[in-house]
Amino acid sequence: MWRLATTLAPMADQVDFESDAMQYAPQLYSAALRMTRNPADAEDVVQETFLKAYRAYDSFTEGTNLKAWLYRILTNTYINKYRKKQRRPSEVELGELQDLYLFKRLGESSGAQISAESQALDMFVDEDIIEALESLPENFRLPVLYADVEGFSYKEIAEILDVPIGTVMSRLHRGRKALQRKLWNLAVEHGLVEPSE
Amino acid sequence: MSGCEDAVEYVYQYLDDELTVTRKARIKWHLKRCGVCTDAFQFETSLKEKISESGKSEPPEELFDTLRALIEQERNTGDPDC
Repeated sequence: MWRLATTLAPMADQVDFESDAMQYAPQLYSAALRMTRNPADAEDVVQETFLKAYRAYDSFTEGTNLKAWLYRILTNTYINKYRKKQRRPSEVELGELQDLYLFKRLGESSGAQISAESQALDMFVDEDIIEALESLPENFRLPVLYADVEGFSYKEIAEILDVPIGTVMSRLHRGRKALQRKLWNLAVEHGLVEPSE
Repeated sequence: MSGCEDAVEYVYQYLDDELTVTRKARIKWHLKRCGVCTDAFQFETSLKEKISESGKSEPPEELFDTLRALIEQERNTGDPDC
Protein backbone atom coordinates (compact mmCIF):
# COMPACT_ATOMS: atom_id res chain seq x y z
CA MET A 1 0.00 0.00 0.00
CA TRP A 2 1.20 3.51 -0.80
CA ARG A 3 1.39 6.03 1.93
CA LEU A 4 1.93 9.74 1.45
CA ALA A 5 4.63 9.98 4.04
CA THR A 6 5.32 13.62 3.26
CA THR A 7 1.83 14.82 4.03
CA LEU A 8 1.09 12.64 7.01
CA ALA A 9 2.92 12.49 10.31
CA PRO A 10 4.74 9.14 10.26
CA MET A 11 3.04 6.53 12.39
CA ALA A 12 5.12 4.20 14.47
CA ASP A 13 5.56 0.62 13.36
CA GLN A 14 4.76 -2.22 15.75
CA VAL A 15 7.90 -4.00 14.58
CA ASP A 16 9.99 -1.26 16.20
CA PHE A 17 8.07 -1.28 19.46
CA GLU A 18 10.54 -3.38 21.39
CA SER A 19 13.63 -1.46 20.40
CA ASP A 20 11.88 1.88 20.96
CA ALA A 21 10.04 1.24 24.20
CA MET A 22 12.05 -1.34 26.15
CA GLN A 23 14.60 1.23 27.33
CA TYR A 24 11.89 2.84 29.47
CA ALA A 25 10.91 -0.38 31.25
CA PRO A 26 13.09 0.16 34.36
CA GLN A 27 11.80 3.71 34.88
CA LEU A 28 8.22 2.64 34.32
CA TYR A 29 8.67 -0.15 36.83
CA SER A 30 10.13 2.25 39.35
CA ALA A 31 7.19 4.63 38.89
CA ALA A 32 4.71 1.76 39.10
CA LEU A 33 6.28 0.61 42.34
CA ARG A 34 5.88 4.09 43.75
CA MET A 35 2.25 4.15 42.71
CA THR A 36 1.21 0.66 43.82
CA ARG A 37 3.66 0.28 46.74
CA ASN A 38 3.93 -3.40 45.94
CA PRO A 39 6.41 -5.20 43.61
CA ALA A 40 3.90 -7.76 42.30
CA ASP A 41 1.33 -5.07 41.51
CA ALA A 42 4.03 -2.90 39.95
CA GLU A 43 5.01 -5.72 37.60
CA ASP A 44 1.35 -6.29 36.68
CA VAL A 45 0.88 -2.61 35.87
CA VAL A 46 4.04 -2.49 33.75
CA GLN A 47 3.08 -5.64 31.85
CA GLU A 48 -0.40 -4.32 31.13
CA THR A 49 1.10 -0.99 30.09
CA PHE A 50 3.45 -2.64 27.60
CA LEU A 51 0.71 -4.79 26.18
CA LYS A 52 -1.61 -1.81 25.69
CA ALA A 53 1.21 0.29 24.28
CA TYR A 54 2.18 -2.46 21.83
CA ARG A 55 -1.40 -2.85 20.63
CA ALA A 56 -1.81 0.92 20.22
CA TYR A 57 1.65 1.58 18.82
CA ASP A 58 0.29 2.17 15.32
CA SER A 59 -1.46 5.25 16.67
CA PHE A 60 1.65 6.69 18.28
CA THR A 61 3.02 9.56 16.21
CA GLU A 62 6.71 9.15 15.63
CA GLY A 63 8.83 12.05 16.72
CA THR A 64 6.51 12.93 19.59
CA ASN A 65 7.28 12.12 23.20
CA LEU A 66 7.33 8.33 23.55
CA LYS A 67 8.31 8.38 27.22
CA ALA A 68 5.38 10.66 28.11
CA TRP A 69 3.06 8.53 25.98
CA LEU A 70 4.11 5.39 27.89
CA TYR A 71 3.69 7.14 31.24
CA ARG A 72 0.23 8.21 30.23
CA ILE A 73 -0.74 4.60 29.56
CA LEU A 74 0.94 3.55 32.81
CA THR A 75 -0.96 6.20 34.76
CA ASN A 76 -4.32 5.27 33.26
CA THR A 77 -3.67 1.59 33.83
CA TYR A 78 -2.80 2.24 37.46
CA ILE A 79 -5.79 4.53 38.04
CA ASN A 80 -8.27 2.12 36.46
CA LYS A 81 -6.87 -0.84 38.35
CA TYR A 82 -6.22 0.53 41.78
CA ARG A 83 -7.66 3.94 42.43
CA LYS A 84 -11.23 2.73 42.69
CA LYS A 85 -10.25 0.59 45.64
CA GLN A 86 -9.12 3.39 47.88
CA ARG A 87 -10.95 6.51 48.93
CA ARG A 88 -8.45 9.25 49.42
CA PRO A 89 -9.06 12.66 50.94
CA SER A 90 -10.23 15.31 48.52
CA GLU A 91 -8.21 18.35 47.51
CA VAL A 92 -10.01 20.61 49.93
CA GLU A 93 -8.72 18.69 52.90
CA LEU A 94 -5.15 19.68 52.13
CA GLY A 95 -5.91 23.15 53.45
CA GLU A 96 -3.94 26.31 52.84
CA LEU A 97 -0.33 26.21 53.95
CA GLN A 98 2.30 28.92 54.04
CA ASP A 99 5.05 28.98 51.43
CA LEU A 100 8.40 27.42 52.33
CA TYR A 101 6.55 25.57 55.07
CA LEU A 102 9.27 23.21 56.28
CA PHE A 103 12.11 25.70 55.85
CA LYS A 104 10.30 28.22 58.03
CA ARG A 105 9.28 25.67 60.65
CA LEU A 106 12.81 24.34 60.97
CA GLY A 107 14.14 27.89 61.08
CA GLU A 108 11.84 28.77 63.97
CA SER A 109 12.72 25.61 65.85
CA SER A 110 16.48 25.80 65.45
CA GLY A 111 16.59 29.41 66.66
CA ALA A 112 19.97 31.04 66.06
CA GLN A 113 21.20 28.38 63.62
CA ILE A 114 19.25 29.83 60.74
CA SER A 115 21.65 28.42 58.12
CA ALA A 116 21.28 24.84 59.34
CA GLU A 117 17.96 24.01 57.66
CA SER A 118 19.55 22.21 54.72
CA GLN A 119 21.59 20.01 57.07
CA ALA A 120 18.43 19.49 59.10
CA LEU A 121 17.05 17.61 56.08
CA ASP A 122 19.58 14.87 56.83
CA MET A 123 17.43 13.75 59.75
CA PHE A 124 14.85 12.48 57.27
CA VAL A 125 15.55 9.00 55.93
CA ASP A 126 14.10 7.63 52.67
CA GLU A 127 11.29 5.95 54.59
CA ASP A 128 10.15 9.35 55.94
CA ILE A 129 10.11 10.85 52.46
CA ILE A 130 8.18 7.85 51.13
CA GLU A 131 5.72 8.02 54.02
CA ALA A 132 5.19 11.74 53.37
CA LEU A 133 4.65 11.14 49.65
CA GLU A 134 2.19 8.37 50.36
CA SER A 135 0.22 10.62 52.69
CA LEU A 136 -0.67 12.88 49.75
CA PRO A 137 -3.98 12.51 47.93
CA GLU A 138 -3.39 10.86 44.54
CA ASN A 139 -4.13 14.06 42.59
CA PHE A 140 -1.18 15.68 44.30
CA ARG A 141 1.10 12.71 44.71
CA LEU A 142 1.38 11.89 41.00
CA PRO A 143 2.45 15.40 39.88
CA VAL A 144 5.10 15.49 42.64
CA LEU A 145 6.39 12.05 41.64
CA TYR A 146 6.49 13.01 37.97
CA ALA A 147 8.25 16.31 38.58
CA ASP A 148 10.73 15.35 41.28
CA VAL A 149 11.35 11.64 40.76
CA GLU A 150 10.87 11.29 37.00
CA GLY A 151 12.01 14.79 36.06
CA PHE A 152 9.14 15.53 33.65
CA SER A 153 8.39 19.08 32.55
CA TYR A 154 5.04 20.68 33.42
CA LYS A 155 3.97 20.27 29.82
CA GLU A 156 4.76 16.55 29.90
CA ILE A 157 2.95 16.08 33.22
CA ALA A 158 -0.08 17.87 31.76
CA GLU A 159 -0.03 15.42 28.82
CA ILE A 160 0.40 12.39 31.05
CA LEU A 161 -2.40 13.35 33.44
CA ASP A 162 -4.55 14.97 30.75
CA VAL A 163 -5.06 18.19 32.70
CA PRO A 164 -4.14 21.81 31.87
CA ILE A 165 -0.65 23.06 32.77
CA GLY A 166 -2.13 25.50 35.29
CA THR A 167 -3.67 22.56 37.15
CA VAL A 168 -0.32 20.77 37.18
CA MET A 169 1.36 23.83 38.66
CA SER A 170 -1.21 24.38 41.36
CA ARG A 171 -1.28 20.69 42.35
CA LEU A 172 2.51 20.58 42.46
CA HIS A 173 2.63 23.67 44.60
CA ARG A 174 0.03 22.46 47.06
CA GLY A 175 1.27 18.89 47.00
CA ARG A 176 4.79 19.95 47.87
CA LYS A 177 3.61 22.09 50.75
CA ALA A 178 1.46 19.27 52.10
CA LEU A 179 4.45 16.92 51.82
CA GLN A 180 6.51 19.39 53.82
CA ARG A 181 3.86 19.59 56.51
CA LYS A 182 3.84 15.79 56.75
CA LEU A 183 7.64 15.74 57.09
CA TRP A 184 7.43 18.35 59.83
CA ASN A 185 4.79 16.31 61.65
CA LEU A 186 6.96 13.20 61.34
CA ALA A 187 9.93 15.07 62.78
CA VAL A 188 7.81 16.24 65.71
CA GLU A 189 6.40 12.74 66.24
CA HIS A 190 9.88 11.22 66.27
CA GLY A 191 11.06 13.87 68.72
CA LEU A 192 13.61 15.18 66.24
CA VAL A 193 12.50 18.80 66.55
CA GLU A 194 10.92 20.97 69.21
CA PRO A 195 7.97 22.89 67.82
CA SER A 196 8.26 26.56 68.73
CA GLU A 197 4.68 26.96 70.00
CA MET B 1 13.81 42.86 51.25
CA SER B 2 12.29 43.65 47.87
CA GLY B 3 12.24 40.74 45.48
CA CYS B 4 11.77 38.15 48.23
CA GLU B 5 8.07 37.85 47.50
CA ASP B 6 8.75 37.23 43.83
CA ALA B 7 11.46 34.70 44.60
CA VAL B 8 9.23 32.75 46.98
CA GLU B 9 6.32 32.81 44.57
CA TYR B 10 8.41 31.35 41.76
CA VAL B 11 10.69 29.09 43.77
CA TYR B 12 9.33 25.82 42.36
CA GLN B 13 9.16 27.05 38.78
CA TYR B 14 12.74 28.20 39.20
CA LEU B 15 13.89 24.82 40.53
CA ASP B 16 11.86 22.93 37.93
CA ASP B 17 13.46 25.07 35.23
CA GLU B 18 10.10 26.33 34.00
CA LEU B 19 10.67 30.10 34.04
CA THR B 20 11.26 32.49 31.18
CA VAL B 21 14.87 33.61 30.77
CA THR B 22 14.00 37.12 31.98
CA ARG B 23 12.26 36.07 35.17
CA LYS B 24 14.94 33.53 35.91
CA ALA B 25 17.62 36.21 35.57
CA ARG B 26 15.67 38.55 37.84
CA ILE B 27 15.44 35.88 40.54
CA LYS B 28 19.12 35.00 40.18
CA TRP B 29 19.92 38.66 40.64
CA HIS B 30 17.87 38.72 43.83
CA LEU B 31 19.42 35.53 45.15
CA LYS B 32 22.91 37.03 44.81
CA ARG B 33 21.81 39.77 47.20
CA CYS B 34 19.58 37.93 49.65
CA GLY B 35 20.99 35.38 52.05
CA VAL B 36 17.63 34.24 53.40
CA CYS B 37 16.22 33.48 49.94
CA THR B 38 19.50 31.76 48.97
CA ASP B 39 19.16 29.51 52.04
CA ALA B 40 15.52 28.84 51.23
CA PHE B 41 16.33 27.95 47.61
CA GLN B 42 19.17 25.72 48.75
CA PHE B 43 16.80 24.01 51.15
CA GLU B 44 14.15 23.41 48.48
CA THR B 45 16.83 22.10 46.11
CA SER B 46 18.09 19.62 48.71
CA LEU B 47 14.57 18.47 49.46
CA LYS B 48 13.83 17.97 45.77
CA GLU B 49 16.99 15.85 45.45
CA LYS B 50 16.01 13.83 48.51
CA ILE B 51 12.59 13.13 47.03
CA SER B 52 14.19 12.13 43.75
CA GLU B 53 16.62 9.76 45.48
CA SER B 54 13.90 8.12 47.55
CA GLY B 55 12.08 7.05 44.40
CA LYS B 56 14.78 4.96 42.77
CA SER B 57 14.36 1.21 42.69
CA GLU B 58 15.83 -1.62 40.68
CA PRO B 59 13.42 -3.64 38.55
CA PRO B 60 13.36 -7.43 38.93
CA GLU B 61 16.03 -9.06 36.73
CA GLU B 62 13.53 -10.95 34.61
CA LEU B 63 11.45 -7.85 33.76
CA PHE B 64 12.87 -7.45 30.25
CA ASP B 65 12.43 -11.15 29.45
CA THR B 66 8.87 -11.13 30.76
CA LEU B 67 7.95 -8.09 28.67
CA ARG B 68 9.60 -9.51 25.52
CA ALA B 69 7.78 -12.80 25.95
CA LEU B 70 4.52 -10.95 26.46
CA ILE B 71 4.93 -8.98 23.25
CA GLU B 72 6.08 -12.06 21.34
CA GLN B 73 2.96 -13.91 22.48
CA GLU B 74 0.75 -10.96 21.52
CA ARG B 75 2.42 -10.79 18.10
CA ASN B 76 1.75 -14.46 17.43
CA THR B 77 -1.87 -14.32 18.49
CA GLY B 78 -2.47 -11.03 16.66
CA ASP B 79 -3.99 -10.50 13.23
CA PRO B 80 -1.91 -12.58 10.76
CA ASP B 81 -2.40 -9.94 8.05
CA CYS B 82 -0.61 -7.26 10.04
